[in-house]
Amino acid sequence: MRPTETAAVGLDTPWADLPALLLPAYGETWAMVGMVMALVILVGGATGVLLYNTDSRGLFPRPRLHGVVSWLVNMGRSLPFLVLMAAIIPLTKWVTGTTIGIAAAVVPMTLAGIPFFARLVQNALNDLPRENMAVGLVTGSSTGQIIRQTQLREALPGLTSAITLNTISMIEYSAIAGTIGAGGIGYLAVTYGYQRFDTHVMAATIVVLIITVQLVQFAGDRISRALLRP
Amino acid sequence: MIEIRNLHKSYSTGQGTVEVLKGIDLTIEQGAITAVVGPSGAGKTTLSHCISLLEKPTSGQVLVDGRNLSALSGQALRSERRAIGTIFQHSALLRRMTVAENVALPLRNLGVVHREMEDRVAELLDRVGLLHKANAYPGQLSGGQKQRVGIARALALRPRILLSDESTSGLDPESTQQILDLLDDVRTELGLSVILITHEMDVVRHVADQVAVLANGRVSEYGPIGALVADPQSGAGRQLLPVRALPLPAGFDYALSVSYRHGPVDPEWLTRLSTGLGVRVALLGGSVEAHGEAVLGRAEIGVAGRPEAEVRSYLEQLGLVADPRDPVSTAAAASTRTATAPPSEGAEREANEKIGVRA
Repeated sequence: MRPTETAAVGLDTPWADLPALLLPAYGETWAMVGMVMALVILVGGATGVLLYNTDSRGLFPRPRLHGVVSWLVNMGRSLPFLVLMAAIIPLTKWVTGTTIGIAAAVVPMTLAGIPFFARLVQNALNDLPRENMAVGLVTGSSTGQIIRQTQLREALPGLTSAITLNTISMIEYSAIAGTIGAGGIGYLAVTYGYQRFDTHVMAATIVVLIITVQLVQFAGDRISRALLRP
Repeated sequence: MIEIRNLHKSYSTGQGTVEVLKGIDLTIEQGAITAVVGPSGAGKTTLSHCISLLEKPTSGQVLVDGRNLSALSGQALRSERRAIGTIFQHSALLRRMTVAENVALPLRNLGVVHREMEDRVAELLDRVGLLHKANAYPGQLSGGQKQRVGIARALALRPRILLSDESTSGLDPESTQQILDLLDDVRTELGLSVILITHEMDVVRHVADQVAVLANGRVSEYGPIGALVADPQSGAGRQLLPVRALPLPAGFDYALSVSYRHGPVDPEWLTRLSTGLGVRVALLGGSVEAHGEAVLGRAEIGVAGRPEAEVRSYLEQLGLVADPRDPVSTAAAASTRTATAPPSEGAEREANEKIGVRA
């Protein structure tokens, strides 16, 4: 019994060495999530606005376009991330020239994040009073002014919650992407914690992920509440 | 002046086409307040959307000072629609903007310069008595205050017509009165035509000059309030000034339904009738009130002592119209009720029943 135990302990990275291992990985995770979220907010946000406004009660109803976009969004949301990641390897390779590393992880993460965010944005807009659009129209506002003033600006608290939720999902996806050598906390957990039975690294990554998600949610809630008006 | 000419509006549903407006004709003079009343489902909201140009009529025209606005679209529509200011049912203020920002919205979107905009917003808020709330958010205002901000916003672009779509629904009586007074003021001071879409007959009686009754997608009655109330045959008149009368007491020969005519009425008509003709008169119910310069009044009386025809012609001389109560008021009240059965709701119900049959 004793030798085995000693052997197992011997495999663990000493606690003192963990920061040197964790910090760069943590930076990589945020680099991935940041890049992905920038793309997701831009493209997914635009898609969400399109979904909302091409609907029958939207600003420019286009039932057929709405159907197509909605179908594409559903398709993007129907695959588990791991499956999606594996399925689009050729696309990833074509876009980034590689199938491993941070760049390679950003492609499937973005593709998974866009349809998710589009639906969240659509929901946030659906929560607005229907009259908002009529207000925009009867005050002689342009389409752009209506979208900016009576939709996006009014929905800011809801949109903040959507970004929070999506960011947390992307942190999770970045960990899954660790399995294809994406780098970041997830990669650390897979290579050290899982493949080398390094309990210290495993425990440390779990703690870091839990704290990160809690902090993101806390900050998101605070910002969202600050954006609410009495 | 706004003229609505043979306005039709149909919607296609899964079960075919539902015609909500079946040829509406209305002329609203500059400076007049016209109420559009009718049960839910009569087409009020659709008419309101056609007037505010939120929806295009299937056929027919909405003419503002002779220009057919309903034919416009795109940029032309955007700039012409400022002729019509709209007040919404729940004020529809943007929640994340201050009161001042809400009122400034139409001005800002038209590119009015900042300095001018500030002055205009202050002037508008002052008009509705809420200048001190300029920096408050809509959530900090009462329902009546929100609606006053909504009026300020609707006035921002100096419209010729003000459309109020159920703007007093859900407000307490005091706030309702404030809103109506405000509408009356702006009508007088700015010479606006006001279209008041409502289901509240009290509101109509207080502020409107004319009433259009919408039933089944058509205008079933249309005229000045005084004329409708004075007409014993008018269902709208009866709803505008309802009289809940007692039954005819024993010892009286017959009951009469009496309406004040559009013109001078002797306020002592009951005494005159009794002493002049030597009849006994029982007041069974009645309502008399001032409407601007005119007087609106309806009453039900029981009479004993003289034949009906004689009493009626005597009342005629005093400026009143009298009709036998029973055949008219009870039967007509019943027929009004059938006539005002919500048509599009009926159509919806029919459609639902069809689905039910299929299922």
